[in-house]
Amino acid sequence: MAQLLLRGIKKRFKTTEVLHGIDLEIGDREFVVFVGPSGCGKSTLLRLIAGLDPISDGQFFLNGKLMNDVAPSRRGIAMVFQSYALYPHMDVYENMAFGARLMGLDKAEVERRIAEAVRMLRLGELLKRRPRELSGGQRQRVAIGRALVRKPDVFLLDEPLSNLDAALRSDVRLEIARLHREIGGTMIYVTHDQVEAMTLADKIVVMNEGRIEQVGSPRALYETPANTFVGTFIGSPRMSLVTVTREGTRLGIADGGSLPIDTKLDARALKLGMRPDAVSLHRGQGGEGFHAQVVYTEYLGDNAYVYVRLADGTLLSARTAPNDDFAPDERVSVTLAPGTAHFFSAEDGRRLVP
Amino acid sequence: MPKLRMTGRGLWITVLVVPPLAFVALFIVYPILSAFAYAFFDWQGLRRLDFIGLENFHTVLFVEPYRSWTLNAFRNNVIVFFALMVLQNGLGFILAYALWRELPGARFHRVAVFLPVVLSTIIVAYLFKLFYHPLFGVVNISLRSIGLGWLAQPWLGQSSTALWSLIIAQAWHMVGFPTLVFLAGMQRIPGEILDAVRMETESEWVKITKIVWPLVAPSATIVFTLLFVGAFNWFELPYIMAGLDGSPFGSTDVLGLYFYRTAFGNVSAGQQDFGLGSALAVLIFIFIAAIATVITLRLRAREIQL
Ligand SMILES: Nc1ncnc2c1ncn2[C@@H]1O[C@H](COP(=O)(O)OP(=O)(O)O)[C@@H](O)[C@H]1O
Ligand SMILES: [Mg+2]
Repeated sequence: MAQLLLRGIKKRFKTTEVLHGIDLEIGDREFVVFVGPSGCGKSTLLRLIAGLDPISDGQFFLNGKLMNDVAPSRRGIAMVFQSYALYPHMDVYENMAFGARLMGLDKAEVERRIAEAVRMLRLGELLKRRPRELSGGQRQRVAIGRALVRKPDVFLLDEPLSNLDAALRSDVRLEIARLHREIGGTMIYVTHDQVEAMTLADKIVVMNEGRIEQVGSPRALYETPANTFVGTFIGSPRMSLVTVTREGTRLGIADGGSLPIDTKLDARALKLGMRPDAVSLHRGQGGEGFHAQVVYTEYLGDNAYVYVRLADGTLLSARTAPNDDFAPDERVSVTLAPGTAHFFSAEDGRRLVP
Repeated sequence: MPKLRMTGRGLWITVLVVPPLAFVALFIVYPILSAFAYAFFDWQGLRRLDFIGLENFHTVLFVEPYRSWTLNAFRNNVIVFFALMVLQNGLGFILAYALWRELPGARFHRVAVFLPVVLSTIIVAYLFKLFYHPLFGVVNISLRSIGLGWLAQPWLGQSSTALWSLIIAQAWHMVGFPTLVFLAGMQRIPGEILDAVRMETESEWVKITKIVWPLVAPSATIVFTLLFVGAFNWFELPYIMAGLDGSPFGSTDVLGLYFYRTAFGNVSAGQQDFGLGSALAVLIFIFIAAIATVITLRLRAREIQL
């Protein structure tokens, strides 16, 4: 059982405020991912939840109990650190047993829990090794094991994949997803990588500059981003944004062509968001669509992304078939599949419902 | 044929290495070796007589009154060593921990703790001699002014307190050194490891004994070794504060003073015996070298890669 409630959480270091009022609810057994560019305050928020840093303002409730002044070790929360933070002078077994013993568990129970963690994480042959004799991926598993044996209500993981090489990352990602299913605790996972966030999360919390931009399922964030920040942050390659003016039923770029798009919006200026997979490129100009010039092509095997520059200088990406060869500098027209346009306010970037 | 021609770099290295090597050979190796040799001769003052084998060693170790003097001085050194281990290294560790945890005023105290270390021993010794003065000393005056006048006593003048008074002066003087070394060791511990411990316990005791101490232990090797060498070579401070005789009644006598008295004589009592002095010096040297080696090897073995 673990329900977290954050109300108006602020964090100041001396005089600089780095979190400006975070409101968030996290349900039992949820896998929540905090995602955002680095420096946006994800780790800070995680440390406040863990109790490692004091909350400057606001309240944090865990299962209805106010946690602001509760010591980290008494919150029922375990954390997996970015550097793993294993105790260098203890072997793997001791690393896991240390916290469990401090909880006052008897010897048999400690043994039992370690055995379970060893089974889940396949640590068997490593038990007698010191951390420095382990590879990055093994250390990672030990760090997770150390959290597991405490059977916490909440697991916190701060960028757990960032110190692993690319090949290991997807393995460990799957592993973490499996663990979450198996142990069923609430997990809060921090990353700056939106792909990790999309693949793991039940619920994504997108953060930027100490504020939450949007909270929602991966699908909700992808399909209905609340603002241009979320729109461009979620999805790869990024959503392209272009400022357009509406004239009747057409959206146009100054001297750059136009598209017929039906909207009930009455603003004259809009930001139009287009995902690469909704964009089509057509050779030549003069027909329907925005005018553009090919910049370069990213060939990925099963498909290719073509980057083109619109008349106002915006760079836009389009997914194309891998055998559609577009040459650099080639003139093309850009069209958009019906119903895929995202509209944002030209003033504050907020999503507008068409 | 391999070239033995000096390159510019080789020349530099030679120029830089030869003088200190010569210095070491002349002022360290040669005296040690000659002391070694002197110890096997009979001496009359500074005049060398016959080769007498191990006679001098036998005398200082087994013949009265040398035997009791040696034992007494050695016992005092042992007390000094263990007392300083607690008062200097133990306190140093606690101070380092407090400084490291950034308790209020840490920045000021970091300097304050180390300041006495840079003072000359002479200054510290005279300062504490004044502090301990039975009538005008700060210690007794403070005791009297807070109504504990019955505790005031001639600290350096009675056997029961003299050695401990010196030990406290020494600990005050040097406590900054282990503090600094331990603090440096603590600052090498990654912050996330401490955070990890804090997630598991809030007990400072567990943190210190199970995590901080084991991780700082490597820096303890050097601190322990130096303390050991320092404690058994102790000379300046007792010499200035208590005099060459280890007064009162030999209660502050240590091997350093005893050796000096034996080899070079005393202002009051003129007898001097270079042979016995050298034998003592050799024994002290061998003892320190042997134990220091053991300490270093033993402690090294448990050093940890962070
Ligand atoms: N101990 C600290 N003192 C001062 N500023 C800090 C401290 N820790 C973090 N910050 C600042 O808070 C902001 C958020 O940092 P952090 O939470 O680490 O970002 P993220 O984990 O999202 O990359 C950054 O601007 C960082 O400089
Ligand atoms: Mg971070």
